[in-house]
Amino acid sequence: MTTQTIAFNTDRKLMKTGLNRIIGIGLFLLPLIWMDLTTYLTLTIAGISLGMLIFLIASGLTLIFGLLDVLNLAHGAFFAFGAYAGYTVLNFFNSLGWIETASLSSSLFYLVAALCAAAGVGALLGIVTEKLVIKKVYGDHLMQLLVTVGVSFVIVEILKIIWGVNDEVVPVPMGFQDSFILYGVFIEYFRIITIILGVGVFAVLQFFLKKTKIGIIVRAGVENREIVKTTGYNISRIFTLIFAAGAGLAAIGGTMMAIFNQSVDPGMGDQFLIFALIVVIIGGMGSVTGSFIGAIIVGLSFNYVAFLVPKMALGVNFMIMAIILLIRPKGLFGKD
Amino acid sequence: MTKRLTLEEQNKSNTKAMVNNPIVYLQAGVIVIFAVMPFIFPSFRLMDVMAKIMIFTIVVASFDLLLGYTGILSFAHGMFFGIGAYCVALILYHTSAPAWYHIIFAIIVSLVISIGLSLVISFFSLRVKAIFFAMLTLALAEFAHILGIQWTSLTGGEDGISFVLPSIFNFNQSLGTLFNTRINGRLIVYYLILVCTILLFAGLLRFIRSPLGRVLKSIRENEPRAVALGYKTFGYQIYSIVFSSCVASLGGILFSMWLCYVNPDSVFHTAIMVNILLMVLIGGMGTLYGSMIGSAFLIITENWLPGLLKSIASLAPENIIVRNMADRWQLYFGILFVLVVIFFPKGVIGTIRSILDRKQQMK
Amino acid sequence: MNDPILSLDKVHTHIGQHHILQGISLNMKAKGGATILLGRNGAGKSTTLRTIMGLTPASTGRINFKGKAIENKKTHEIARMGMGFVPEDRAVLFNLTVEENFRLSMIEENEKTHENLNEVLELFPALKKFWKTKAGLLSGGQRQMLAIARVFVCDHALLLIDEPSKGLAPIVVDQLGESLLRIKDKTKVILVEQNFNLARQVGSDCFILDDGQVVFHGLIQDLALDKTMMKNYLGI
Repeated sequence: MTTQTIAFNTDRKLMKTGLNRIIGIGLFLLPLIWMDLTTYLTLTIAGISLGMLIFLIASGLTLIFGLLDVLNLAHGAFFAFGAYAGYTVLNFFNSLGWIETASLSSSLFYLVAALCAAAGVGALLGIVTEKLVIKKVYGDHLMQLLVTVGVSFVIVEILKIIWGVNDEVVPVPMGFQDSFILYGVFIEYFRIITIILGVGVFAVLQFFLKKTKIGIIVRAGVENREIVKTTGYNISRIFTLIFAAGAGLAAIGGTMMAIFNQSVDPGMGDQFLIFALIVVIIGGMGSVTGSFIGAIIVGLSFNYVAFLVPKMALGVNFMIMAIILLIRPKGLFGKD
Repeated sequence: MTKRLTLEEQNKSNTKAMVNNPIVYLQAGVIVIFAVMPFIFPSFRLMDVMAKIMIFTIVVASFDLLLGYTGILSFAHGMFFGIGAYCVALILYHTSAPAWYHIIFAIIVSLVISIGLSLVISFFSLRVKAIFFAMLTLALAEFAHILGIQWTSLTGGEDGISFVLPSIFNFNQSLGTLFNTRINGRLIVYYLILVCTILLFAGLLRFIRSPLGRVLKSIRENEPRAVALGYKTFGYQIYSIVFSSCVASLGGILFSMWLCYVNPDSVFHTAIMVNILLMVLIGGMGTLYGSMIGSAFLIITENWLPGLLKSIASLAPENIIVRNMADRWQLYFGILFVLVVIFFPKGVIGTIRSILDRKQQMK
Repeated sequence: MNDPILSLDKVHTHIGQHHILQGISLNMKAKGGATILLGRNGAGKSTTLRTIMGLTPASTGRINFKGKAIENKKTHEIARMGMGFVPEDRAVLFNLTVEENFRLSMIEENEKTHENLNEVLELFPALKKFWKTKAGLLSGGQRQMLAIARVFVCDHALLLIDEPSKGLAPIVVDQLGESLLRIKDKTKVILVEQNFNLARQVGSDCFILDDGQVVFHGLIQDLALDKTMMKNYLGI
């Protein structure tokens, strides 16, 4: 490629992104036609926080796909397992009677404890899965799809053995049930925490991948394993770590969702795996930024449509996915 | 003159080959067993198992057409099964006086829906890569499941719909006895399933042995090469997606007629898809006959494994974990699934074939 | 100091069903500049390097590096022992910038490696110019420079370089030869090379491989005089 064509391409790309941005902002403001500003803001905040929850799951999925080239259909199972792990921790605090009287700061402490437990359990599950199963099917997409479906099945069954098959109510720390009013808009604390966590995870992931040494090794390993090996890095350990990190992120997302919905059930993994898949498809497989944008799109459109035409809420995400795939088969940020 | 002679000779040698071919006897034997079973052992449970084996044989075989012969992994296959099942159920449930032609009507409706949807799906398969396609179909299948649960006004939600079959298919209608077995609607539906299974399976065999099937195989082996040879691969893939989806939805119709009841979890749930996948894998991808072995194995274990586990668990009645582990017999299916994929990817028939091939090579 | 830094003893390597290396035995002394592997395409030169590196493990035979058996070690362990590898086809990481390519090759980022880096950049000034450019956008010659330069950053005991001149313009090959000359004084190099002139410029010790076996071992100057050998195995 000569420099001229590169320059030309970047020009066109710039023009295109400019146009895309205008269209995006236009669509973002579109619901204002049918609702007043306060409702719009309430829905927007709720939508973004839902989007951030979905991003937590989708980020792990896209990380594993983008870096290891594995489409992990067991991701929903990690998510559900994480939700149950977080639920167990909160339940433990509740049995001590601490949850119902928790202030905002101690609620935060309980949340962090639950998230840590979930992330640990998720990561452990990820390591075991990678070492036992995934390692044998690197490079073969069909086998990966099949085997991860099986793993998902197994994990959910184990989950049922440990926690039973029924829905459970998750004790929500008292501090999160409060809300404050800003310009006439009710904002729950938990929504803000969700948004902060989502943005934080996004920032950390970006920094990790772009700036740190491990990030460089990981990106290099995706492109050419041989060079990384011959440089002297143990690539299989790095891959295990990535898989564990992805699974841990799913588990964190699971705990957050458990608190958000105030309940857990064994089937929750399947349901949110679908959300995550939609987000990853919209954003472009393997792109963390794409998943971030995609999650916000899905969260917002779900909330707007659920308010305007309740019956369409689920369908709209499929429609968005279909439209985006028709225009850009690789998703918004997918590499050609 | 000479030409005709050779043709006749060819015919003769063909019949000779058929007479000598053990597979023909095997096929006939299997059909006979399925046909006479209700008279030899008139137990409902056995009949139920055999009917389900037949139904899943064709559903799995049609899925094998996609996965094994065309190399497409579609998680929406279970959805087509569900569409067929729900079409019959909804039409018979919502008509005040169901008659036999309502079943025909349901078949037509479900085929139309299946063809339409599978065309849309195959259109996407042109646009996206295989792994995207799998995700897309998985999302679609889950969407169908959620729709089945949430659209309560039409589908009855999670409770599902039970309905009564019309005219001679009605289970309560007795047409007399034969060899000590009561001829009722259920028996007639059983034979309907048998006939349909034979016809559909023969159709699938015909499909893969046709020139079209051979082209599909070459596409699976090496798509760029098939394209370079001048085949419009996309067109062939559409054929196979549409055809297999239609067969799956017919299987769904039979399933729903056999049970006279559908609910979202029994036909749309991912577990159904996992079962179908497991059946294909156990039997062997790309073998078609494997579907019989896979579905027979899975359905038989599904019916008797829980009881077996319960009796094992009764040895240690106080232990909750043991009891739970006995209750969750699906766990063992999941483990089996993973093991089969990793260590036994060719399945039963595939392995037998490769052993036979090796023996032939040794000769 | 006369112990061989690397020795291969009756090494056989299979790739799939193909028997590529059929009993290679080599000895390389720690001193004495570059060792050249010559031979026609398919003779097993690249596979020899890859087998030493553990990328296509030997089926039988022993490989010793710095007095330790390495035939059962993993690639990254071998690399950590001080073996550097430049694969053929200008293998750099296209999606990483030149800077990131260098950072990747620094297993430890300390003063020593940074000093090395500065030296290397003096050797290849073009790379400094494109410091923040993705390696995929560099020209073929620059990529090859980068591929070689990035292994110089760390101090290796032995460098394996696979056909560096492949597909490069003659003027770039000259430049490459110069840089190789400067390195071989510092580090022991094993070079697989088809370009006989470059090989003669850089190397002294030389092996010719054919059908996965060593058919000649000697000084490259002697080889240049042996016309039948040259014709039979190198076609020159």
